[in-house]
Amino acid sequence: MRLIGLLAVALFALAPPQPGPLTVFAASDLAPAFKQIVPQFEAHTRTRVTLVLGSTGVLAQQIRNGAPADVFFAANDTFINDLAAESLTLGRATLYAQGRIAIVTLTSSTTRIDDLKGLADAQIRRIAIANPQHAPYGLAAKQALDNTGLWRTLEPKLVFGENVQQAVQFVRSGSAQAGIVARSVAGTSDLRWALVDAQLHAPLNQMAVVLARTRQAATALSFIEFVNGTHGRAVMRQFGFLLPGESH
Amino acid sequence: MDVFPVWLSLRVAALATLLTVVAGVPLAWLLARKHFPGRDLLSALLLIPLVLPPTVLGYYLLTLIGSRGTVGRFLARWDIELAFTWRAAVLAAAVGSFPLLIKTTQSGFEGIDRRLEQAAATLGHSEMSIFWTISLPLAWRAILAGTVLAFCRALGEFGITLMVAGNIPGLTQTLPLAIYDHVQANQLDQANMLSFVSIAIVLFLMVALGRIARLRF
Repeated sequence: MRLIGLLAVALFALAPPQPGPLTVFAASDLAPAFKQIVPQFEAHTRTRVTLVLGSTGVLAQQIRNGAPADVFFAANDTFINDLAAESLTLGRATLYAQGRIAIVTLTSSTTRIDDLKGLADAQIRRIAIANPQHAPYGLAAKQALDNTGLWRTLEPKLVFGENVQQAVQFVRSGSAQAGIVARSVAGTSDLRWALVDAQLHAPLNQMAVVLARTRQAATALSFIEFVNGTHGRAVMRQFGFLLPGESH
Repeated sequence: MDVFPVWLSLRVAALATLLTVVAGVPLAWLLARKHFPGRDLLSALLLIPLVLPPTVLGYYLLTLIGSRGTVGRFLARWDIELAFTWRAAVLAAAVGSFPLLIKTTQSGFEGIDRRLEQAAATLGHSEMSIFWTISLPLAWRAILAGTVLAFCRALGEFGITLMVAGNIPGLTQTLPLAIYDHVQANQLDQANMLSFVSIAIVLFLMVALGRIARLRF
């Protein structure tokens, strides 16, 4: 009994893991870009950043339930508007990028798909998209299929990833022969991508906002500014995002 | 390899196991030795975490301990946060492993020859004293087996943890969550490495303790 007591004390006495000073919740489409931007920001400001990736809807729900996020980078504006209406945000949201969706296939595959109609090909048995219920890029993919009248035909082939990163992983692993995902996660050499006409879906206006529960609003805001600044924009452009205030 | 998730998982699992043992052993004894109204219902309720989807458990746990939940709001008065902290991961792991400990321990107590306990009673031992000096020492092997199972289950807890503790690297990202993230990010080497570590830990515990204490799982 005394041993168990000692063990308990020892376990509790151990310092609990310390969070990074700034916790950034970011939509999964930002994974590749933020893996470059975050270290740059850390080097510039000597602030440590904890990056948490997930679908915008899942992250918003976590924020609602008290997750310790300082700043939220969403893949569209609806979830941030909802959080703002519930007084969970601080100040105005900033538009930092506009996203595009793309059809992806493996570079090594023989079937070349250049447009949505091509997905009807019998070689394509599974098409990966992010879950449209809570992932904005999944919703955009669904809208594009709806607007081209392909949803009904292609629906039986669809597999939903938890977020856009998982959807692209389904393609990478060969489980799905094609995917409709964020252009930003398709930039690696193992994938071939073809942009989907942006007119086919509601614009993916990616908004960022500082969250009400933060204790470091200034640092949080400076991170949004960094993403929107020279360094951030250079990286974001590289991953195919359209940037606010730039003509295309 | 990032060792933080391994370290966090070991700690979370150890704490969760401690919680389940402290609460579970007396409860298992109660179920094995006492007849009281609602005993069968309680016994079934305790098994629920084993068969219910982790999402259901996670969801209800979150509605309790989240910042809007009854318990969450109550604790907030003292500035204590549970949801999306490592404590929530401990809670999630404890919930998941509770039934394993209860069931194994309960059958351990049930396997004791009742006459030994009755003999102690005729010699004037109190029920408490019988529990400590007769029942517990005789059932130790089952309790240890249950503890090891509970620890291994806690180490592998995924679904409930994801919902109540989130997946925050360096804070609540346990071993299974780190593996999940690595697979999503196509970092398959790291995913393999961490998977290997979890398999190694569990196998080591089962085999080593099985040998030393002659446990049967």
